[in-house]
Amino acid sequence: MDKYERYTTDDFLADDSFLHWVLQPTNEEERFWKEYLEEHPSKREAIEEARFICSVFQVRQKKLSLDETYEIWDGVLQSSGQLRSSRWISVLKYAAVFLLLFISGAVAYYIYDSRAQQTHFELATETGTTGTEAKIILSDGSEISLEKKESQINYNRAGDQLIVNDDTIRQDQLSGNEAINKVIIPYGKKSVIRLSDGTMVWLNAGSQLIYPSVFLRDKREVVLIGEAYFDVTENQSKPFIVRTSSLAVTVLGTKFDVSAYPEDQFVDAILESGSVSLEVTGKSFLNRNKKILLKPNQKGSLNRQDGMMNLSEVDVSQYISWKDGMLKVEREDLIRVLKKVERYYNIHIELRDPLAGGFLISGKLDLKQNPEEVLNVIQLTVPIDWAKKSNGDFIIVKK
Amino acid sequence: MPRRPEKNDHELWVAFLKGDQQVLSLIYLRHVNALFDYGSKISADHDLVRDCIQDTFVTIIKNRKTLSPTDNVRLYLFKAFKRKLIRELQKKTRFLPFDPEKGERFEISFLRNFDHAEFEVTQEQKERLTEAVDTLTIRQREAIYLRFIRGMNYHDISVIMDLNYQSARALIHRAIGRLRETLHGESETFSRALLFIFRCCRA
Repeated sequence: MDKYERYTTDDFLADDSFLHWVLQPTNEEERFWKEYLEEHPSKREAIEEARFICSVFQVRQKKLSLDETYEIWDGVLQSSGQLRSSRWISVLKYAAVFLLLFISGAVAYYIYDSRAQQTHFELATETGTTGTEAKIILSDGSEISLEKKESQINYNRAGDQLIVNDDTIRQDQLSGNEAINKVIIPYGKKSVIRLSDGTMVWLNAGSQLIYPSVFLRDKREVVLIGEAYFDVTENQSKPFIVRTSSLAVTVLGTKFDVSAYPEDQFVDAILESGSVSLEVTGKSFLNRNKKILLKPNQKGSLNRQDGMMNLSEVDVSQYISWKDGMLKVEREDLIRVLKKVERYYNIHIELRDPLAGGFLISGKLDLKQNPEEVLNVIQLTVPIDWAKKSNGDFIIVKK
Repeated sequence: MPRRPEKNDHELWVAFLKGDQQVLSLIYLRHVNALFDYGSKISADHDLVRDCIQDTFVTIIKNRKTLSPTDNVRLYLFKAFKRKLIRELQKKTRFLPFDPEKGERFEISFLRNFDHAEFEVTQEQKERLTEAVDTLTIRQREAIYLRFIRGMNYHDISVIMDLNYQSARALIHRAIGRLRETLHGESETFSRALLFIFRCCRA
């Protein structure tokens, strides 16, 4: 039954499913209307006129920047009394009148800023890293699951089309739209994303990356939780900024690795080539606005607890070998190596003897093998023994 | 390709009403830019628009216990946000006679920055289209905006604009009619040319 048989241009414009196809086509709708047009060539003119009239109205929409988006939400939480710190600020305001003018100002500033960070983080973790499914979430909220162990995501230059593994997905027909996308990779998987500006991002296990499908602002901003290796396309007029819960990394075009797992005490940025500047955000007001320039082969390591930044020369290959399925370590604690193995395979390793965690390991581990093989290799270098429990967890004991 | 919607607005809203405060930020993220764009058409004062968005969500949190479940969260947000924004605009012009119909502006600079990727129009064609859009009334513009940019159905448009269903439909119908009239009236060849360009680029 063809309900469109007698439709005029106006009728098409008044039809909700037609409009949906024009504004936010799903693959199904594309197929339906393509077939329909082939079968009903006489309707072509009316449909195209309707499409044309719709397109006349499609213009660049006003969008909030990521910062503004967070600021407003921050204001919502503050005004509705969801944040304790807002009460503290008002108490401090009065205290300042008497004697603590300078300090209260500083403390209030500190609280304000850490709260902003908290919101940042809260918004970013919403859907949780705890799931076991790798997926990409589009700005309209729809999810595409990434079934492969190592998935590839490719954006075209306009950012309105992405290729996930081998499937092409269209999103956001409206021109000028900076749609925010999010990729979630659970432990045991990883992903390579090619952003619309050509920047390549290798996302490690247990990580999330939030980014606009196309960069329309004067800054290219992404939010990272976990670890990623970036090969940034050079663009002097649009700096690329990686925001994490306590560190912002600004670059113009370069290759580097950022590791910012929420459960780790340190946030690390490791530079392979080019130059990047690190800025501590929140936490300690003493560190605010302090920018540190990183040179190639340097690692900037921020201690989240005391807000101190430590620079050191490192062998970069150690830190980025994960993206090629290798784990290269040089005199590293067994406990840190095991943590990486756990993340990579999404397994749980229990270290029965805490002292064994201090063993230093050097060498290369091939993570393309199964975890048992990896533990066998580790066993060759340090005096440990391992066993697998019935629930799949591993136990390590000192020999 | 498995592609299923994440929890929809309705489910999130129900979770929020049951006490899960966290999910409201998901609703916020999903709609904030649409609200901001809509607000920017009504007022050029961006700070005011931002404040009204903030207020809308603060009110929602404060009134959580008395809110009712809705299966159309977007409509609720647009309605609540517009009410706040208009009230604020009225306050600003307190000492002037304010006629909500006349005082309300709805600025859509449709074709002024017409840069649709699918086809090109010449400067002259652009001007004619702009003139055509300029002949629309403020109410028509708002209805057109809600329909063709936000993709809303007539029911939602009628609720947001305080109209009945038939009037909303008629409003848009007349606007489109006027636009087509202008296009066709100007010159038959002109509209044909536009359609031709359009078709070429779509092929």
